[in-house]
Amino acid sequence: NVEAVGTPKRNIQLSNIVEEFAEGRRTSKVMHETPKKATVEEPKTPKSARGRPRKSTSTVVEEYKSTPKSATKLKLIRSGAIKPNVQARDAPVQISPDDQLAVARERLHVSAVPKSLPCREKEYSEIYNFLEGKIIDSCGGCMYVSGVPGTGKTATTTAVIRSLQVLAQEEEIPTFEFVEINGMRLTEPRQAYVHIYRQLTGKTLAWEQAYNLLDKRFTTKAPRRVTTVLLVDELDILCNRRQDVVYNLLNWPTVPSAQLVVITIANTMDLPERLLMGKISSRLGLTRLTFQPYNFRQLQEIVMARLTGTSAFDAEAVQLVARKVAAVSGDARRALDICRRATELAEEQSRKVDKFVSVSMGHVQKALGEMIASAKVQTIKCCSRMEQLFLQAVTAEVARTGIEECSFLGVYSQFEALAAFAGVTVPNPGRAIAICSRLGASRLLICENSRNDIYQKILLNISSDDVHYALQASSLI
Amino acid sequence: MSTRRSSRGSRLSEVVQLEEREEAKENTTPTKRRGRPRKTIGGSIPEEEDDQQPTDASPPKRVKVSSRKKKVVEEEEQDNAEPVSVTAIGSLPERERETENLAKYIEDILAENGSGSLYISGPPGTGKTATLTKIISDRKLATKLKMVYVNCTSMSSAGSIYKKICEELSLSVAGTSEKFYLMAIEEYLKRKHKTVMLVLDEIDQLASSKQTILYNIFEWPAKRESRLILVGIANALDLTDRLLSRLQARCELKPHLIQFLPYTKQQLVAILKNNMVQNDTTEMFNDAALQLLAAKVASTSGDARRALFLARRLVENASKEDRETKKANAKLQDKPLSSPPKKPVQIGLVVNTLKQVYGTTQTMADDEAFPLQQKLLLCSLLLVLKAGKSKDITVGRLHQVYRAVCAKRNLQVVDQTEFLNMCSLVETRGILRLQGKKEARLMRVQLQWDEDEVHNTLNDKQLIADVLADTSCAQGK
Repeated sequence: NVEAVGTPKRNIQLSNIVEEFAEGRRTSKVMHETPKKATVEEPKTPKSARGRPRKSTSTVVEEYKSTPKSATKLKLIRSGAIKPNVQARDAPVQISPDDQLAVARERLHVSAVPKSLPCREKEYSEIYNFLEGKIIDSCGGCMYVSGVPGTGKTATTTAVIRSLQVLAQEEEIPTFEFVEINGMRLTEPRQAYVHIYRQLTGKTLAWEQAYNLLDKRFTTKAPRRVTTVLLVDELDILCNRRQDVVYNLLNWPTVPSAQLVVITIANTMDLPERLLMGKISSRLGLTRLTFQPYNFRQLQEIVMARLTGTSAFDAEAVQLVARKVAAVSGDARRALDICRRATELAEEQSRKVDKFVSVSMGHVQKALGEMIASAKVQTIKCCSRMEQLFLQAVTAEVARTGIEECSFLGVYSQFEALAAFAGVTVPNPGRAIAICSRLGASRLLICENSRNDIYQKILLNISSDDVHYALQASSLI
Repeated sequence: MSTRRSSRGSRLSEVVQLEEREEAKENTTPTKRRGRPRKTIGGSIPEEEDDQQPTDASPPKRVKVSSRKKKVVEEEEQDNAEPVSVTAIGSLPERERETENLAKYIEDILAENGSGSLYISGPPGTGKTATLTKIISDRKLATKLKMVYVNCTSMSSAGSIYKKICEELSLSVAGTSEKFYLMAIEEYLKRKHKTVMLVLDEIDQLASSKQTILYNIFEWPAKRESRLILVGIANALDLTDRLLSRLQARCELKPHLIQFLPYTKQQLVAILKNNMVQNDTTEMFNDAALQLLAAKVASTSGDARRALFLARRLVENASKEDRETKKANAKLQDKPLSSPPKKPVQIGLVVNTLKQVYGTTQTMADDEAFPLQQKLLLCSLLLVLKAGKSKDITVGRLHQVYRAVCAKRNLQVVDQTEFLNMCSLVETRGILRLQGKKEARLMRVQLQWDEDEVHNTLNDKQLIADVLADTSCAQGK
């Protein structure tokens, strides 16, 4: 009889019962589930509601505005007839050129790519020569660019392509098409075909169709074909187990009729050897370029180049930022972010004293403190007295046993001893477990599920020095 | 309920498999035949019509075939345009023996009007696909054979290979599922037809858990009246032994193996010379440079693609210098830029390029490229490896040692989150490997490089010696 009624309904009820008992609540959820039938009746309405915001994000040609049929509109979007756009705002606020700090802040934004990239001249010329040679010879090829994040890989490559496009417009070199994909922006590696095809023709197709058309385009000979430059960012995301997408992207340049130049960008320097199959790294070739992290002089130059003409920054302040960042990662984005934060702090101060304050060492020091600060020490300082005592007990237990992992039982006995020493009453084990799970939730401790009660294992997620340091500051020890 | 459904599903799949098996049996027995009745053996003319009709129905396919025929011509044309091309496969020096072998094998099969299977293996860049393309585009064979070339990386899944073959053979299929396509192919093989040569490139992509697809395909040649030459191409030498061990049981199913060995130095020299003779650019390389290049490539991989890439890069470097001098000359003298005296590639340039490509993974241009804190991280790791007792190094432990090392030198310590970030930055250089557990503190750190190599990269003897002498820090106290 069960099957005749319909299985899903019974399933729902069963799971509800289990849920109710798990949560310890008696209010029946079945009551909420039953009107579901009514909502099932009208599947059309939510769909149109969902479609509505999409309408506002795309410019609709006048005649379609009156009758927005979703199907025709989707078709138009897929064929590339309507372009997506965002609602425009009112006129933006004009920044007065006198406001040095605001000007500096705008220039220091990471997204503001300068016209020329300082300190990357060598890499620029390498990529330029490679691409120019390939375009002039009208043949295919691959290049692999690697380096740690924030060292200007993508910025340099796009700058090269921009200058080549200018040259092509002036007809000094043959024209070429430029296609750009980013592995992180694809939901799936095979979507790469869709994106490439869309950038070439403006139409959106399913990936299989897109692949077939691209394959046809690259493998058949066309006398008037121009070179296509394909920039693949975040190559490592495109590598799945079969690696068929990467294979195809790197195999097309070897086809003589394709005239495809592929530039691949990734972080890992030994990616071709580590991740890619032998046949793919053989196709990737040996033209490789590594971007080294910036040293402090280069970082200083980068920041100063952005600040030319403003007197918002003291020179020492920039130097401090550059030295601090260069010692850790050599990431230009980070240096710029810290500088921006310092300008914000300076602005705050200048508003307070009501006169212009340039960014000094003090502001930078404060910004660095905020950005590289250890939040964990702060957290320990702000913990309750018992939590601090518990942390101390964990460090004491680790010191006693010499093993990093300790059991709750041992910690609790240490906890008792410490509490007696401090002259406070000990919470009972149940409360102590609650303390332990609170500390675990803030990731100061790594602890097991609390269902193991007193046998659960506890690990310290910070170094014991940090605990001592924080507790000293809060004058517990 | 769900278990019941799943069991039903599995039963269903069993049924499908059973059906497939039955079909396979059915096909081996020549009693039932769904296609049109067979004509006499002499009737080859109507058969060709049979092949032709569907091709007319699908024009894109015809384009493909014709393009393939044109390929060689096209490549030769391309060759004239560029100095040294990776894609130049107009003629294949040093693969005459293999080509002859292959041609003979095919001729033999054609002579006895039978079928056979062939597996070609070899490391990447040894001319497997090139040889096959050459044979495929051979006019003489093309009249006797129907060529089908499928690259298996273009499949969406292993099962869609049947669909692709159907499209290539332009068969009409009753349904859209995999089974129908398989049926259509098997029926086609039963019917009267021209001998089919089916080339499956990168056949290792078809591997699945039970290898049903590979087995199905490799069993086609053993069927009666299926005049099929099956050629599989892959890198692995023992693919047929590893994946298709059941084929060993029956002698007629066992594929004929042909191995492409990596090129030796003499062969590479001959290939490069041949390439240059074709393009009339023999003066670009002197003999010693060519010998050196070939020797290096042959000693590491024997990959012709690499050799051609390197040669191309050398030519590019040389022509870059040429262009620069030309520009300088043009500026000085205002002369037209015609007929520049091409200097041959010097041996010094070859040595430099080889050093760039095959040298250490990173040759630091200046000392400051490696951030200080990352240097300290690596030094601490070396210290732990040298002086520590257990070799099981977690991030937490390494951080402890690093703190001790920093404290000794009065340097600022970064906290754990930042430290983890630094570890991953070093990992992108390939020096370390972080092996994942969920918790950052419990990740295991492994040194991937040789210690001497790390010393060279850090390029800071004093710091390393200083840290390594400090064995007291190794315990992190």
